[in-house]
Amino acid sequence: MLNRIRAVLIDLSGTLHIDDTAIPGAVEALKRLRSSGIKVRFVTNTTKESSRSLHARLSSLGFEVDRKEMFSSLAAARLLAEERGLRPLLLVDQAAEEEFEGLPAPEQGPPNAVLVGLAPKRFDYQSLNQAFRLVLDGAQLIAINKSRYYQTKDGLSLGAGSFVAAIEFATGKEAEVVGKPARSFFEASLKGLGVAAEEAIMIGDDVKDDVIGAIDAGIQGLLVKTGKYRPGDEKKLAEGVVVAENFPEAVDRILRAKESN
Amino acid sequence: MSKVNGVLLDITGVLKEGDSPIKNSVEAVERLREKGIKVRFVTNETQETKNSLVSRLSKMGFTLTEEEVISPCPAMAHELRRNGLRPHLLVHPTVLEEFDGVSTENPNCVVIGDCAEHFSYENMNKAFRVLINMSEPLLYSLGKGKYFREDGELVLDVGSYAACLEYATGAKSKIVGKPEPTFFQTALDMMQIKPEEAVMVGDDLVSDVGGAQGCGIKGILVRTGKFRPADERHPEVKPFFIADDLYHAVDHIISLL
Repeated sequence: MLNRIRAVLIDLSGTLHIDDTAIPGAVEALKRLRSSGIKVRFVTNTTKESSRSLHARLSSLGFEVDRKEMFSSLAAARLLAEERGLRPLLLVDQAAEEEFEGLPAPEQGPPNAVLVGLAPKRFDYQSLNQAFRLVLDGAQLIAINKSRYYQTKDGLSLGAGSFVAAIEFATGKEAEVVGKPARSFFEASLKGLGVAAEEAIMIGDDVKDDVIGAIDAGIQGLLVKTGKYRPGDEKKLAEGVVVAENFPEAVDRILRAKESN
Repeated sequence: MSKVNGVLLDITGVLKEGDSPIKNSVEAVERLREKGIKVRFVTNETQETKNSLVSRLSKMGFTLTEEEVISPCPAMAHELRRNGLRPHLLVHPTVLEEFDGVSTENPNCVVIGDCAEHFSYENMNKAFRVLINMSEPLLYSLGKGKYFREDGELVLDVGSYAACLEYATGAKSKIVGKPEPTFFQTALDMMQIKPEEAVMVGDDLVSDVGGAQGCGIKGILVRTGKFRPADERHPEVKPFFIADDLYHAVDHIISLL
């Protein structure tokens, strides 16, 4: 099925780069992919970095990326807020706030949604109580992701999902998750491309959120053995799902299939 | 129907809210005592010591002794000593003295109580790191309440913070306090009565009423404190009786005598 690919969704961290280092050969591979006429979208589950800051990072590593080609869980949350006309209380990091500029401000009425991202500086008693009371009174609870914890310089630290779990326990309501592997996230990332789901492929290092998530949304999936990949991850995939050593090899597999068409 | 010989009373949301007694609750407790009914105060209060709680209630006009109060911290300290456990204590600074003599060096479990404003990201993260570094994380939660009412507003209770740590670490917390059956049993043992002779009055449908009824004690829900109208339509927990407040609950209890 690789020969019918017209669009590629590409994960960022762990697939194109790790921290401030590009995966070897990835900058050139992206160029080859573009010159073949295949459309690209960059999709990421960040809860912290705005599109502007992600774009600046990719550019500084040498990747040729247009901001319009980027789609993040933060952008998906914004889109959802716009579609539903939400006035959300934002429990997100300050760096992520710009993604939500222009949404109805709290002074225009009480919040009717609570949007939770990773925000260690905001997860305090006052803010969590405020969020809890809103959800108990009927506000929608929206999680940018539901991660349990994440790696920091001085060890593991509590993730956004754990605080979402506290509000879920208190209110008896389940949060709606907007990032990968939500089907709506993959569907929204294809919007405007004019490409059917089965003509698109997702390349990522997270076997569950990237690859299986995409396949569940009707998109093809391709696993790369970089970033958070652990030996044995490919065993979680159905037979026939392509696994590549890294992003450049993934691109070459797609391009070879296209040429043989 | 057996005679009522003992009444278990929740404190916050039933006797008082913040620093004020709930209307007619002082008189309601007196009426129970006049009728010769034994009274015990069963609380999940972990923001202050038993001693300070009793003196605060006395100032509000209630007559009670420390021996009549069953609260989680002393029960937890007892459990820790008995099992030789060394806790990382995520509890309110005012109750640390209840754990005097318990070693907290090189912790092999976490105890979480209601910390109010001390529930910061930093403090939660410290507890999380102790748990995530254990091969089998052991978490004790002093009660499992979802929320309670304070100064007119609902605030998250310890159970919600325990749920945060459970989700992050995969631990399943052991509860010391309501609705854990041994907690109610302690109160019954002190009064030397059987469950069917007892009534529990509380504002927490699940923890007070559900917990008590799980032990065979009749549960009365009061429409004060954290009560919400939706509590009357709970799919599983059906109170024995729903009263407007403690005074009304006592009226009903006396009518059963």
